[in-house]
Amino acid sequence: MPILSTILWLPLAAAIVLAFFPRTADSAIKGWGLFWSTATFIVSLALLRGWDDAQAGFQFVESHPWIPQWGINYGLGVDGITLWLVLLTTFLTPLIFLAGWNSLKKHPKEYVISFLVMETAMIGAFLATDMLLFYIFFELMLLPMYLVIGVWGGANRIYAAIKFFLFTIAGSLLMLLAILYLAFQSYHQTGLPSFTITDLYGTMLDPRAAMLLFFAFSLAFAIKVPLFPLHTWLPDAHVEAPTGGSIILAGVMLKMGTYGFLRFVLPLFPEQTEKWAGLMITLSVIGIIYGALVAWVQPDMKKLVAYSSVSHLGFCVLGIFALNQTSIEGSILQMVNHGLSTGALFMLVGVIYERRHTRLLADYGGIGRTMPVFTVFFVIAVLSSVGLPGLNGFIGEFLILSGSFKTAPVAATFAASGVILAAIYLLWLVQKVFFGPITNEENRNIPDIAWNEIAAVVPLVVFMVWIGVRPNTFLKKMEPSVKHLVSTMQTGAESRTPVVADVAGSSLLVARDSSPARPVTTNQPPPTSNRTGGAQ
Amino acid sequence: MITPLLEPGWVNAILPELILCVGGMLLALFDAFVPRAKGALAPLALIIFIAAAWTENLFIQGGTFFGGTYEISAITMIFDLTFLLAGMLAVLFSREYLDRQGLEDGAYYALLMWGTVGMMMMAKGLDLLIVVLGLEILSICIFVLVGFHRRIPVSNEASLKYFLMGAFATGFILYGTALFYGATASTNFNVMGRWFASNAATPLLTVAFVLLMSGFGFKLALAPFHPWAPDVYQGAPTPVAGWLSVAPKAATLIALVRLFDAMSPVLPKVNWMSMIAALAILSMIVGNAVAIVQRDLKRMLAYSGIAHVGYMMIAMLTVRDDSVAAVAVYTITYALMNIGAFGVVSLLVKNENDPHTLEDIAGLGFRRKFYGFALAICMFSLSGLPPTAGFISKFYIFKTAIESGHTTVALIGILASIVSVYYYLRVVYYLYMKEPAEGHVVQAGGSVFALGALTIAVVGILIIGIYPSPLFQAAGNAARVLLQQ
Repeated sequence: MPILSTILWLPLAAAIVLAFFPRTADSAIKGWGLFWSTATFIVSLALLRGWDDAQAGFQFVESHPWIPQWGINYGLGVDGITLWLVLLTTFLTPLIFLAGWNSLKKHPKEYVISFLVMETAMIGAFLATDMLLFYIFFELMLLPMYLVIGVWGGANRIYAAIKFFLFTIAGSLLMLLAILYLAFQSYHQTGLPSFTITDLYGTMLDPRAAMLLFFAFSLAFAIKVPLFPLHTWLPDAHVEAPTGGSIILAGVMLKMGTYGFLRFVLPLFPEQTEKWAGLMITLSVIGIIYGALVAWVQPDMKKLVAYSSVSHLGFCVLGIFALNQTSIEGSILQMVNHGLSTGALFMLVGVIYERRHTRLLADYGGIGRTMPVFTVFFVIAVLSSVGLPGLNGFIGEFLILSGSFKTAPVAATFAASGVILAAIYLLWLVQKVFFGPITNEENRNIPDIAWNEIAAVVPLVVFMVWIGVRPNTFLKKMEPSVKHLVSTMQTGAESRTPVVADVAGSSLLVARDSSPARPVTTNQPPPTSNRTGGAQ
Repeated sequence: MITPLLEPGWVNAILPELILCVGGMLLALFDAFVPRAKGALAPLALIIFIAAAWTENLFIQGGTFFGGTYEISAITMIFDLTFLLAGMLAVLFSREYLDRQGLEDGAYYALLMWGTVGMMMMAKGLDLLIVVLGLEILSICIFVLVGFHRRIPVSNEASLKYFLMGAFATGFILYGTALFYGATASTNFNVMGRWFASNAATPLLTVAFVLLMSGFGFKLALAPFHPWAPDVYQGAPTPVAGWLSVAPKAATLIALVRLFDAMSPVLPKVNWMSMIAALAILSMIVGNAVAIVQRDLKRMLAYSGIAHVGYMMIAMLTVRDDSVAAVAVYTITYALMNIGAFGVVSLLVKNENDPHTLEDIAGLGFRRKFYGFALAICMFSLSGLPPTAGFISKFYIFKTAIESGHTTVALIGILASIVSVYYYLRVVYYLYMKEPAEGHVVQAGGSVFALGALTIAVVGILIIGIYPSPLFQAAGNAARVLLQQ
């Protein structure tokens, strides 16, 4: 059985069957969603078993002609860049159903269907090896998210839903035009119509066209990430979205943007990427600091977490456009980290909102005493988001920063302040909400976190620790693909500035991890680098 | 050279037209003699339409007939089937609507059939005069159909408006045809094509072209010839409005393909096509911008239709096999999604003289789930979102535009469709996210026929959207055959 197709279509098939359920069968509907999304996750684990650590290209490849006259294929494949993102998607979806088990009251059937369709769309976007197929999934995920925000969202949900939709569609439609133009140029040069992503990598473009295409693609992905100053839809969408919507939006959907940079922008336009990397890095650093500062002053917990997403995703973009192996690996790992830690934060904010129906910091205080178990989980999620060593956030941010210091030291210095700011605003949040005296009488009798919510948050915590302690499990699977990406970038751009592969950063980790030397076979002679740096 | 007026096989060649003509008459007579059996009219009409569609690919051999004025080929078959599909969907939606409004009448279905015959003539006519003849048959049917709600003022107004402006448009087309004849000594597309291949364009031809395009632009509701469309759609019985918004446009487009193809040798030397490009751009901008402020669903769909003709005209800027195929695919898609959308509106039970506002469908998605779902799918398709047919058809249009070098126009089209997403999504918003106002719950009727039509529309939209390859193949081959001659 083709495993990628199974992972891709299983949620959709479950959604279609679910459409015929009677709408009153409440628990059966939720159970069905939970069961099949869990099944999808288990099937997706088979990717790890059959994974070839040494291979840089796509694995488990499937390809069938779809619109043969245009060279469009139904092509699926997974490589080191997408492996963990696919697993993150299949991992988070069942947790949403689990966490929302009790709170989901309004139209449960449509809710579960929306999330299952969304899961298929997101997996499809990661797996597609054909541009048109990618585009279709990229847009398909908007529709269920639009409905999720618009139907199950908060008071101002309509505005948020429309804004979310229009922002994203504006970018992606321009990208569609760019895809068409690119495919046409490629057809012109090779004589073979093709929309396969790797076939289009070598397309020659005149500089002006290349620049326009670079910006068309970058705009679509920058809106999705979202990169400053295109982030304005995100806080609205997050605040209004229901908890599950926020988790998926922050956990997976934002990564479409960063993934898009890695899969499309960098390899398709290496010269333009080099040329405009400064701009992208600047914007991402502004985003990091701006997001953090705005998060600091938010009176609303969910908005605070939303702005922290802007800041954290800034790190991911910085890592990508620093254009070296360490920073890109860090960036991919940080995408997963952000999915876990911000996912957990949104989930926990949802838990407390369910109980008190307010998210304002001012309404809380001292609930650490009334909800001790909840507090433990919340603090772990916060520390993971802050980047405490030993938890996942630290590894990602550390790799990004140490990689970026090689190519963009000034930007990395400024970005590092984002880590400090994150510590300030998140710990401030913890202090305001959980510690101190109980100022509000209503907070005295809040029931603690329920079994289903614990079951949903524990897996997240497990992986936060796992990535924090043994990042190598994750890094070694993505390494060949990232190395390949960096080297194609290099040859593609014939760049004068050599891509700095770092050894120090990785060896630091190897030492921390106390595992025997991780094969750091980077494409740069190592003698000058400081291997002893890892011993500290 | 003397050719016999009636080539062998001519009966088979026009069998669908004959079936529709005779069937329509019989249906009108049946209603006159058996006035009690009004419930049987729609099923009978459906059978006649299916019979006509069945003969399309069964008996017909390609070729030219009637002294080289009538051509049967794969592309005419595709367009014929589009007209028949539009007709069938209109019949299916009409059953319940006419019953509810007390308008059930054999003549109504007969007019739909005769209008379809007119469109078939436009698609098959190799001679401008045959095209004009078909157009007139069609127009007369439309005048009556639009005014079929004879006790309702808006319907009368719509009919009169369409009649007066349509008469003008026909005048323009006839005048243009006469000037073409004056310049090229023929109204036959093939003869004109040969003339254009060996002669340069003259100012007279420019005038003729402008006149023709004004007339056809009216029929297409292409800006700036569009102002009739919102009023007429609003006043017409809703199933008729859906049919009217699709089928005549398809017929006009295929006639234009033949005209542009005949003129193709001179087109690079004159800038007539930049005029068409201007019309396309204007249509996309005006249609989408004005649709945003519409509260009436039928008017909104009218303006969206203006924009959609703009998209189709992008492909017409360079007549190649791909662009003709793109237009053919788009018209089929457009028939499904637009008649489907009008169909859901036709199911709303209310006074037809009042506007069908967005508030009328508030909460419909949860009250009548299938109607809501169908309308949402139609809206997603109209806004060009995957995985619907609307996406892949629009993709085809923009793809041919880029391959023909019309990148700027394609860019404007993309920007215009970003705007359009807003008002299509607003419909989805009313369907699912808006509670109906107190005391303003508009009920929706329904029948097996309407359900069947909506199912056809939804399934068609999804199938074309997900597996478009066979349709593209068929349309591409048909277009190649058309342009080789």
